[in-house]
Amino acid sequence: MAFRWQPDFEQLVDEHQSMVFSLALRMTGDRGLAEEIAQDVFLALDRNLGMMESPLHALAWLRRVTMSRSTDALRRRRVRGVHMMVEMNENHCAQGEEASSPLAVRVERLLATLPEAQRAALVMRYQEDLTPEEIAATLGAPVATVKSHLQRGLKLLRAKASTHLQEYIRGA
Amino acid sequence: MDDFERELREAMRRQAAPANLKPRILKRRQERRGRRFPRLWIFQWGPATAALAALVVVVVIVAAGAGGFLMKRDAEERRKGEEAKQQVFTALRIANRALEQMNVQLEQQNRKAE
Repeated sequence: MAFRWQPDFEQLVDEHQSMVFSLALRMTGDRGLAEEIAQDVFLALDRNLGMMESPLHALAWLRRVTMSRSTDALRRRRVRGVHMMVEMNENHCAQGEEASSPLAVRVERLLATLPEAQRAALVMRYQEDLTPEEIAATLGAPVATVKSHLQRGLKLLRAKASTHLQEYIRGA
Repeated sequence: MDDFERELREAMRRQAAPANLKPRILKRRQERRGRRFPRLWIFQWGPATAALAALVVVVVIVAAGAGGFLMKRDAEERRKGEEAKQQVFTALRIANRALEQMNVQLEQQNRKAE
């Protein structure tokens, strides 16, 4: 008889809360909203706990749902007429800046100015260290599209970094 | 991967979640479960009171069952006793009739002998 994985909800929260929170924060640029999204994602996990087949499955599920919820939150804000870029620049890491390095803070500010799809691809690539194929599976997008977003996003970020982050970035 | 990407990866390491995130998740989870399973009055009692209530319910059910069984057994015994009594009466009636016949025959023989 095959061993069936028994997920422990609190253990999953312990293991993945920083991943979920960081993804939501970098996608929305708002700590409060990121916390709300993280809570919603873990409550959804609790509802679907019986479907989780393995730790890797749970991790991939959490990434996918976090990205989806973050995108929904951004869309709702657009519908409400909030100018995201202004709000993101005001809110981004407002409370967490003291905990992050100056470079990280500036990179995140620049990241917040990228188009949503490019930002999602870059966050998955450089925060989660995923391959384009894994990003495509997580976001439900074609691999070619993900590669395109990565290239364009990186190019745009380099251009912004070359003017804003000269003192930090050697290769820009 | 060039220097820029390495710097990017370094800058984009996961941030620690707020310390109160997990307690808030667990609290909301508890609240949601409370809403999903409305608390009946019995579940609002403490475990000792609930156990005592459950014990009382079990005792009442067992007592009712036992009482019903005993009543049914008594009724059965009473019915059997009644049947036995009727059989004895029938036997007595038959014996009485036989004795009366014998008595009649004896009287007839006595009269002949006189």
